[in-house]
Amino acid sequence: MSEHHDDGPVAAQTRHVEALLEARGLLDAVELDRALEAFLAGASPAQGARVVARAWVEPEFQDRLLADGNAALEELGLSMGGGIQPQRLKVVANTETEHNVIVCTLCSCYPIALLGPSPTWYKSEAYRARVVRDPRGVLAEFGTELPEHVRITVWDASAETRYLVLPRRPAVPVSDEAELAALVTRNGLIGTAVL
Amino acid sequence: MFSSGDRVRTSRADPAHHTRVPRYARGAVGSVVEPIGEHPLPDDRARGVTTVEPVYTVRFSARELFGEGDHDVTVDVWESHLESA
Amino acid sequence: MSRINDVGGMTGFPGVVEELDEPPFHSDWEAHVFAMNRALIGAGVYNLDEFRDAVERMPPAVYLASSYYEKWLHGIQALLVEKGVCTADELRVQQR
Repeated sequence: MSEHHDDGPVAAQTRHVEALLEARGLLDAVELDRALEAFLAGASPAQGARVVARAWVEPEFQDRLLADGNAALEELGLSMGGGIQPQRLKVVANTETEHNVIVCTLCSCYPIALLGPSPTWYKSEAYRARVVRDPRGVLAEFGTELPEHVRITVWDASAETRYLVLPRRPAVPVSDEAELAALVTRNGLIGTAVL
Repeated sequence: MFSSGDRVRTSRADPAHHTRVPRYARGAVGSVVEPIGEHPLPDDRARGVTTVEPVYTVRFSARELFGEGDHDVTVDVWESHLESA
Repeated sequence: MSRINDVGGMTGFPGVVEELDEPPFHSDWEAHVFAMNRALIGAGVYNLDEFRDAVERMPPAVYLASSYYEKWLHGIQALLVEKGVCTADELRVQQR
């Protein structure tokens, strides 16, 4: 969190609503801060990167990950349970001929329990409106150009499933799992970048 | 119940209430990728009623949805918004 | 009567702009809106679909002019009134 203290009316309104709910016994400010800290400590793109790196170095794990994302996460001590309701994880793999991109056109569904809060652009009307219609155009805005023969699938998270892209392993002479994980970016996990 | 590979058409309904069928995917024909479990129908749960139904991932061609484009889009759709096509 | 949130496939929106090194939240109030919503859903005050519904019912012009967590705060407040947790008057910050 940044050190903004001057957010004006909306910050004041938030404090007012929170105080009102505390007075009603519906919230506890200390518990709220504790829950927020725990959530942010456990969910970040680094977790997604761990999953991807393991899939790159262990093909059997990759098979299990693509077949049942939630069960494979458990092997790494991770889960999709940090969300506000149980979420199914579906991992979709990029190949030489297929590229995947995720979106939630109706709101902002995202594998938040694993990756933490999504970036602002992911939640923007511009991304949600345009990526289903013109994924190549949107990817180009991220500097991502795919060969003509690559077929793009855009996964609109309109129900209880959360999607995660398994990027292609970069062609670099790295075999250490942790070093590979360091190559994985959030945009790679969303599908707006290739690694 | 639908199975992987089944051809399905989404509902054309344009309800005044909450729903999870995006406008761009209404009345469109696609193929079922896979069933993805049973979940409360959002249309009902937004009104405090729990109706549990199968949900399916459905793949559509961009041409079917927008009349142009060479990509695919998948949408997760509750069973009551689908019919055989 | 599709609602303003249902933007998939709409044309006319500008290019997607990425903020480099974006933090999880830009300010404390955003984090608090996020945490409050989770706590209220967790406590059963309302469910996730009721919350989405409340955001979707925003007047279109207000929806498009609001930041992400401003939309959330709007939805939370609408539900608190509708669920009888508090009144619209109580939600108004006192003028000093």
